[in-house]
Amino acid sequence: MSATLGISANYHDAAAALVVDGTLVAAMQEERFSRIKNDPSLPLSAARACLALAKLDAKDLTRVVFYENPYRKLERVLTMSLRTFPRSLTQFPRAIASQLSGKLQVLDELSSRLGVRRDRVTHREHHESHAASAFFLSPFERAAVLTVDAVGEETTTALWLGEGRSLKALERIAFPHSLGLLYSALTAWCGFEVNEGEYKVMGLAAFGQPRFRDEFTKLVTLAPDGSFSLGLDFFDSHTNTEVGFSPKLEALLGPRRSPGTPWDLTSDRDRRVADVACTLQTVLEEALLGLARRAKERTGANALCLAGGVGLNAVANARLARESGFRDFFVQPAAGDAGAALGAAILGALDLGDARPAPLESLALGLPVTSDDARTIAKNLGLVATPLSGPDDVAELLAKGEILACAEGRFEFGPRALGNRSLLALPTPIAVKERLNRVIKRREPFRPFAPAVLEAGAPRFFEPFAERLAPFMVTVAGVKAEARPSLEAVTHVDGTARVQTVKADSRFGAIIDAVGRRTGTPVVLNTSLNGKGDPIVASVADAFAFFLGHSADALVVDDVLIRKP
Amino acid sequence: MLSVRTVKDLVGHFAKQNRLVLIPLLVVLLLAAVLLVLTQGLAYVTPFVYALF
Repeated sequence: MSATLGISANYHDAAAALVVDGTLVAAMQEERFSRIKNDPSLPLSAARACLALAKLDAKDLTRVVFYENPYRKLERVLTMSLRTFPRSLTQFPRAIASQLSGKLQVLDELSSRLGVRRDRVTHREHHESHAASAFFLSPFERAAVLTVDAVGEETTTALWLGEGRSLKALERIAFPHSLGLLYSALTAWCGFEVNEGEYKVMGLAAFGQPRFRDEFTKLVTLAPDGSFSLGLDFFDSHTNTEVGFSPKLEALLGPRRSPGTPWDLTSDRDRRVADVACTLQTVLEEALLGLARRAKERTGANALCLAGGVGLNAVANARLARESGFRDFFVQPAAGDAGAALGAAILGALDLGDARPAPLESLALGLPVTSDDARTIAKNLGLVATPLSGPDDVAELLAKGEILACAEGRFEFGPRALGNRSLLALPTPIAVKERLNRVIKRREPFRPFAPAVLEAGAPRFFEPFAERLAPFMVTVAGVKAEARPSLEAVTHVDGTARVQTVKADSRFGAIIDAVGRRTGTPVVLNTSLNGKGDPIVASVADAFAFFLGHSADALVVDDVLIRKP
Repeated sequence: MLSVRTVKDLVGHFAKQNRLVLIPLLVVLLLAAVLLVLTQGLAYVTPFVYALF
């Protein structure tokens, strides 16, 4: 038996993934255990949970693979700091201290804290881990692979050719030229939190017009060969870690939006921010299309795989699926750094001679909940717990207009809740969206919610979309005009929705089907089960904590319904 | 403390990349780093921290 643990950590969204004899058996983010959103700490709890789930001990691990090269990272920090001296003077001591006080000895730490022999702990390269997570979990035997994020060791964008069990690096773009950093710097300019608010910029873009194209030609240059470069005068991510942009950016686009200010998209100020977001989104899509065309030209492959944080941009993915010229397209759905743990584990397993893992079918790779635990906690808290006979009962409550907090089975890996840790509601009327945004999740009122629809029923409601991406909610689709009145809580202002298709033979599918029988619309609003600033619920206890702190109508844990007195 | 294996790998990496010239710089800055850690000067972590560190 071989067992390989992949680890990503130390920057944002730490995670562990376990591959046993070529099968991906578990993957979890540390935030689900520490309850700190995007927790970058060494994912020891997640790693131990993966091992426990597989009934293994740390000493059973054949290999532990860290997702990036700590020595190369240190080298980049040193060379970049020298290159940007003296501007880097203020950040340099902090950078080097951070490297030397922990990140450099990450492999030693993993060895001692997990209790694994040091010679079994190794590392791969950051973008290689991303690429492996995308290609080896895809169904393709041959594909071009793009990895696009803020920065790895020094690479920000890379093109690979995946064939069978091998990945070959073809081209790369180096820091500080980075689409991820461009998007993050503009996220900060829009007044959102970096590494968290990028989704909000994507949602906001639909409210704007791309009227800042001239300004953006100064920020980023797209070359005919698919490469790009940033106007470095406008960015400061190598010397300023506060916002990532320089005063010149504010001179070009206007002052940054103050974080936390209430939104009013009828005001000149916020319309301008929406227009900047829209222009940014358009430019990002064009940059990705350029990269994809280059990938096609270099590899001649029929399929494209994508990973890296930029792969979480569902709107851009939809455009890539339509316009990139590839016949097939797969996005590894935990495309950010958490998902690189998958790639690290797979690379380690392939090195050991394991078979290539099966194509990714489900992201339910976390720990399960049980209804027994739910009954016990409900009793201790003095809450009323009643048994449910099955999906029909859940559908009945939804059809009455209730908003349900639902936890069942294993929690999902990655940033999306796909039914196992979800808040569910009917996709209409619009008041559902208002209640969820303003009261339950307390987030910006312009942010959209996603519809979950039965696979077979999707064409009735949505324009054609990338079917391979929709089960993981990493693409968008146009909502058919005639369907919009019945989907108004899940249709964004531009007439699209981040659609999730669900198989009819799953429990979630049975709920959607039963809702359809009652309302005529087999679609359910699905949003992640978490409060503002919290990670998605993992355990039964987390589900109760959410339920008691928020105004969902009821909590469903497997086949138990819990209500507040 | 770094393990012997990590020190070996680190030196090996810098030697392979012809970056051994950076080692003295690393040692000098280590002192600054130790000072910062001791004085808890690293308590504040900024949003773009991953870009640099």
